[in-house]
Amino acid sequence: MSDVLLACRDVSVGYDDAPVLAHVDLEIHRGEIVTLLGGSGCGKTTLLRAITGLLPPLAGTVTLLDHDMYAQSDDDRRALLRRTGMAFQQDALFSAMTVIDNVALPLRELTKLPETVISEMARIKLALVGLPGLEHRQPASLSGGQRKRAALARASILDPEIIFCDEPSAGLDPIVAAELDDTLRQFRDALGVTIVIVTHELASIRAIADRAIMFGDGRVMATGTVAELEDSADQGVYNFFHARAS
Amino acid sequence: MPVAVTHVDRKTRTATVALRGDLVIPTAQAMYGQLRGLARRRDVRGVVVDFAGAGRVDSSGIAVVTLVQRMMARSGKRLELTGLGETHRAALELVKHAGVAAEPDNVVPTGLAERIGASVLGYVEAGRELIALVIDIGHQTWQVATRKKALPKGALVEQISRMGADALPIVALLGGLLGTTLAFQGVVLLHRFGAGQFVADMIGLSMVREFGPMMTAIILTGRTGAAIAAELGTMRVGSEIDALATMGVSPTRFLLLPRLAALTFVQPALSLFATFVGIAGGMLIAALAIHVPAGVFWDRVVERVTLMDFCHGIGKSVAFAWIIGLTASHLGMRTTADATSVGNATTRTVVVSVFFIILVDAVVATFASLGGS
Repeated sequence: MSDVLLACRDVSVGYDDAPVLAHVDLEIHRGEIVTLLGGSGCGKTTLLRAITGLLPPLAGTVTLLDHDMYAQSDDDRRALLRRTGMAFQQDALFSAMTVIDNVALPLRELTKLPETVISEMARIKLALVGLPGLEHRQPASLSGGQRKRAALARASILDPEIIFCDEPSAGLDPIVAAELDDTLRQFRDALGVTIVIVTHELASIRAIADRAIMFGDGRVMATGTVAELEDSADQGVYNFFHARAS
Repeated sequence: MPVAVTHVDRKTRTATVALRGDLVIPTAQAMYGQLRGLARRRDVRGVVVDFAGAGRVDSSGIAVVTLVQRMMARSGKRLELTGLGETHRAALELVKHAGVAAEPDNVVPTGLAERIGASVLGYVEAGRELIALVIDIGHQTWQVATRKKALPKGALVEQISRMGADALPIVALLGGLLGTTLAFQGVVLLHRFGAGQFVADMIGLSMVREFGPMMTAIILTGRTGAAIAAELGTMRVGSEIDALATMGVSPTRFLLLPRLAALTFVQPALSLFATFVGIAGGMLIAALAIHVPAGVFWDRVVERVTLMDFCHGIGKSVAFAWIIGLTASHLGMRTTADATSVGNATTRTVVVSVFFIILVDAVVATFASLGGS
C-alpha cells in the first residue's frame, strides 16, 4: 500500500468553469496532520470539496487511497469515501436525531454489527472527543464546541484512514479549540489516522500541523513545515503568519 | 476473517482465545459472538485473549473487548488481555482514559395513562400559546391601525402579489373545471325534467355560497398556508426570529401581520374570481350541451343569487383566511430547531386548516339552513 493517501495532480477547482484554485499539486502521506490554509475565499474549502467527492475538479486528477476518485463509478467512489471521514464546518449533525444516533448512523447504515457493539463504538468515540454522558441529547442543546466534537466523533466512527476537517476550531474559544486540537492529535497518535484540516486559525496550525500547504492568489503559495512557512521569504506567506496586511 | 483458536483449561476454568488476523468492523461481529459465548459458559471463570497474533484492531474490536469485559465483570468473571502490541495498547489506553459513559439503565416504558396525560398537556400548552398569539396579533394590529407602528415597507404588497396574483392561474383552472363539472351533473339531471335552464341557479348559488370559498381556501391552504409554516419554521431554525426579538422588533408585526392581512384580502378576492370563472365554465357547458343562451343563463344567476348569498360567501372566505393564517403562524412559530419539525409544521398546517375549514363550513351551512337563508 502506498504511503501517499491523497494526491492532487494539476487540479483546478471552482464554480461555473471559473477556477478559484488552479494547477494544484499536493500529496498527503499516511499518519500526517496537514493543514490547508490561506485567507478567506482563497479556495481551500472548494479544494476540500473536490478532494471529498463533492465537487468534480475543473481539471486534473484527485487520487485518493490509490484510486483516481473521479474515474470511479458512483458505487466505487462511495466505497472509497467510506474509508474517509469528513467533519463539516457547520457540523452537519442531523437535528432530529440524538447525538449517539448521529454518531452511530454510518455503522447502522453500512455495517451488520450488532446494536450493542454499534452503541459501544459510538460511546467510545464520544468519550474520545470528550462528550461522555451527552449521548441522548439533541444537537440543538449542545454548544458550538460540543457539536463540532460530535461531528468529529461521527467522522471517525468507521475508523477511516483519513479524516478531513473543515474549519474545526472556527468560532470556538481558545481553550475549547486547543482541546479539539489535542483530540485530533490523539486520533493520529493512537489510531494512526491521517488528518487534513482546512483552517486559518494560526494557533491551531502551530499546535498540530506537521506540514502546511498555503493557498493564495489562486495557487499553492507555499508548502512545508509550519516553521518553514513562518520564515518564508514570500511576503504573502510571511504576512499571513505574522498577521500583517499586505 | 480472524481465526480465534480457543482452548479451555479445565483445571483453572480459563478459556484462552488466540487471535489471528485483523479485529476490525467486518470481523467484529463473529468475534463478539465467540467471546460472548465463552463468557456465558458455566465452566469458564475467566477468558484470556491473546493478541500476539492479531493484526489491526479498530474501534469495533475495542468495543467488543470492552463490552465482553463489562459483561464478564457483572457475573464475577474476568477478561485478561495478553500479547498486546504497541498500537493495540495505545488504542485501549486511549479509550480507558477517555471514560466511556455507561449504558443508561433501562427506562421504564411510558404507560397509556401517562401518554394520554402528556398529550392532553401538550394540547393545553398549544392552546395557551395560540391564545397568546391571537392576543399579540390583536395588540400589534391595534398598534398598526392607530399608526403607532407600521408594517414593514412593501411587505403587504409583496405578500398579496405572492399569495394572490401568483395563484390566479391555478385558481382559474380549478374554478373553471369545478364549474364545468357541476354543470355536467346538473344538465344531465335537470334536462331530464325539462328544467335544464335551472342549472344556472344551481351553479350560481353553489359557486357563490360554497364551492368558490371552499375550493379557494383549500388551494390557499396547500399553497400559501404550507409556505407560511415552512418559512416561519425555517426562520426559527436559522434563529432569524430570535434575531428579530433581540432587536426589539415584534416578530408578530414584522412577519405575521403582513401575511395575515394579505390573506384577509386575497382569500375573498380569489374566491370571487374562482366563483366567476366557475359560473363562466357552467355557462359554457349549458350553452354547448342543452343550448341555454349565455344571456338567459346569466339572468337566472343574477335573479337567483342575492346580495346575502354574496355576503355569506365573502364572510366565510374571510373566516377561512384567518383559519389558514392563524394555523400556519401558530404551527410555524412553534417549530423547534430541527429539520423534521419544519416538515411536521407544514404538514400539520395543511391537515389542521382543511379540518377547520370543513368544520366551519358545515357549522355555518347548518345554521344558515336552520335560519332559512
